[in-house]
Amino acid sequence: MKLAVVVQRYGQGVHGGAELHARYIAEHLAHHTDVEVLTTCASDDATWANTLKAGTETINGVQVRRFRVSGRRNASAVSRLSERVFHQTHSLADELKWLDAGGPMSRSLVRHLRKHGDAYDFCLFFSYRYCHAYYGARAVPSRAILVPRAERDEAIGLRVFRDVFRGARAILYNSPEERSLIHAVAGNQQVPGVVVGAGADVPQNPQAGRFRQKHNIRGPFALYVGRIDAHSGCAELFDAFQHYASDSSSRLSLVVVGDGPLAVPKHPKIAHLGALEDGDKFDALAAAEALVLPSRFESLSRTALEAWALGKAVLANAKSDVLRGQCGRSNGGLVYQDREEFSGMLQALDQNRWLSASLGQSGRQYVRDHYDWRIVERKYHEMLVQLQKAPPSHVMAPMPGWSARRRRDLEPAADVVRSLS
Amino acid sequence: MAEFNVRSDSVNVEHIMEQIRARIREKRGVDYTEAQIQELASARLEKYLDPQNVRSDLLQEFHRVRSATDAPDPSDDVIDESVLFETHRPWLRALRKVLRPLLKLVLNTKALAALSLRAKAEVARRSRDQLTFELVHNMVVEMTRLSIEVKNLTMRVESMQSRLEFNERRARALEGVVVYKPSDPEPVEPPRRPPPPAYESRPPAEYRPRHESPRQDAPAAPAASPSGAAPVAGGAPEGPGQRSRRRRRRRGRRGGGLGLAPGTQPDQQPVPMGDDASDSSSSAPDAGDSDPDPQ
Repeated sequence: MKLAVVVQRYGQGVHGGAELHARYIAEHLAHHTDVEVLTTCASDDATWANTLKAGTETINGVQVRRFRVSGRRNASAVSRLSERVFHQTHSLADELKWLDAGGPMSRSLVRHLRKHGDAYDFCLFFSYRYCHAYYGARAVPSRAILVPRAERDEAIGLRVFRDVFRGARAILYNSPEERSLIHAVAGNQQVPGVVVGAGADVPQNPQAGRFRQKHNIRGPFALYVGRIDAHSGCAELFDAFQHYASDSSSRLSLVVVGDGPLAVPKHPKIAHLGALEDGDKFDALAAAEALVLPSRFESLSRTALEAWALGKAVLANAKSDVLRGQCGRSNGGLVYQDREEFSGMLQALDQNRWLSASLGQSGRQYVRDHYDWRIVERKYHEMLVQLQKAPPSHVMAPMPGWSARRRRDLEPAADVVRSLS
Repeated sequence: MAEFNVRSDSVNVEHIMEQIRARIREKRGVDYTEAQIQELASARLEKYLDPQNVRSDLLQEFHRVRSATDAPDPSDDVIDESVLFETHRPWLRALRKVLRPLLKLVLNTKALAALSLRAKAEVARRSRDQLTFELVHNMVVEMTRLSIEVKNLTMRVESMQSRLEFNERRARALEGVVVYKPSDPEPVEPPRRPPPPAYESRPPAEYRPRHESPRQDAPAAPAASPSGAAPVAGGAPEGPGQRSRRRRRRRGRRGGGLGLAPGTQPDQQPVPMGDDASDSSSSAPDAGDSDPDPQ
């Protein structure tokens, strides 16, 4: 069996969630089958500039084939079109323009799939919202297996993706919540699908003391790891933490790991360490009392899985249904609705050591049961074998005609998403 | 957030979160968050009542509006119709004056004047309503804050009360331990004091009771402590019992002493003396102090 893993960026220095997910899957599946990665020459998702050389190379034993990106990302066009398709009545052509503006548009990649798609048994497309997945899945619909990584944001309400969700050969979901969301928005219950996710690789002996010594961190602390921007809920996190810190009985500090456009407030109990290497990150997780996840938009939080694998409790935003579901299923974390609850939960974790220990223990067991790499590989293998045996039961609807694409009768995507809940 | 009731090894996060939320509600006292309080505070009860326009000189404003609006109700005899014909243009005033009888014939000028007065009174009432609203608004906000604070303080008092009770119980328990320690039945024999180190280090042949060689110690004592208050040679301060005993000893040497029976030899004295007496400080000072001074 030969598989193609199609992803927008790929490489050891690429740390995006979908990109890491694709790399780990490719590397683990490569132990059992022939895997080729099809990706672009871009390394920066803000511009999609062609910074890497086109052609083939081998990374960690996996063959990687890079294609040039046709055009750079136009941020102002994305912003303008986002306003239109998310908040106004619009047409399918508007949505396609939004998709093209967001990139990375690689015509050579799509051409390669059209020409040589038969060479692969199946193509795994990561991240439904980018051009490579949309046009790639349309190029090889009978071989397209989608790993959507969908979040409950406005993009999921766009009409343009519905045909892809309905026409893909199979969908590998990250969580039951993601599956419910896509079923609700696309009505694709007939498409074979399974909740898989990805495994969590953590070192055996992370050194909490080494982290404390290296970064001069004293006392107990809660940890945030991720991009520091408003989309990730960091503004709410900082506000909620300052509310918690205003209580005289609060002991925990907040250690922020990551970079981003949002400024970290200057507060005696907030330490910003910037981006860290993986080893440092795991040391930080080992030293932390709990991991904080303020994001409302998650499809699978790898950081949460890593924290649970290390036996750490998680405190997550309840507005993310994925995190809420994961915390509930695993019994490994608490969720908060507002800053009062954030303070209360954090205090509970701090003052009841048995609680954080029990949550961490439950989380560790949850990761062992569901996100061990052997389990993930087995689920992939079973799905691929099942698809290989059975012929495709459905086809992808063709693109609507010229006039149909320009009919301005589509509901704003934000309204579509709002109507789901 | 101190205690949670979890009886099994595996935790149930829903149950725990419900407990934490209940605790937060209890702590908050009322079901208003700070955001809700602000929302309440910024709510406009009526279109003309603007809660943002809160003034600091509220009381003075109240007095001013009150004096302006506390005028008596207009009655027919106090209504001045002339206000209807007032104008700053002289020619128009003259024209109105000429035509006033005609106007009064076709219009009820008194009613118009009364309406004008009522309109003014209505404007004044609205401004007073605005002030009243501000007062009510401020009171609602303050009352909500105060009720939350009272709830918090009540909880703190309860917490401190429980701590105090705990400390009292602890103190009583510790006091009980201290009181009952001497009546411990285990030691059968009274604790025997070890012999003084001076005797241990001295060979047995050199040991002499103090009364056998009184001249050896007699000159040394005044030299070491002429006033009787200086520390003794061993470094330990001299107690009052020792002083009185020394006094009795001197009297005994001079005139037979009070404690000795006639015919008793000095070497038969049962009371330890000298260094021995000073070392047995646990019982000798009390005995010496309890004896009345013969003078």
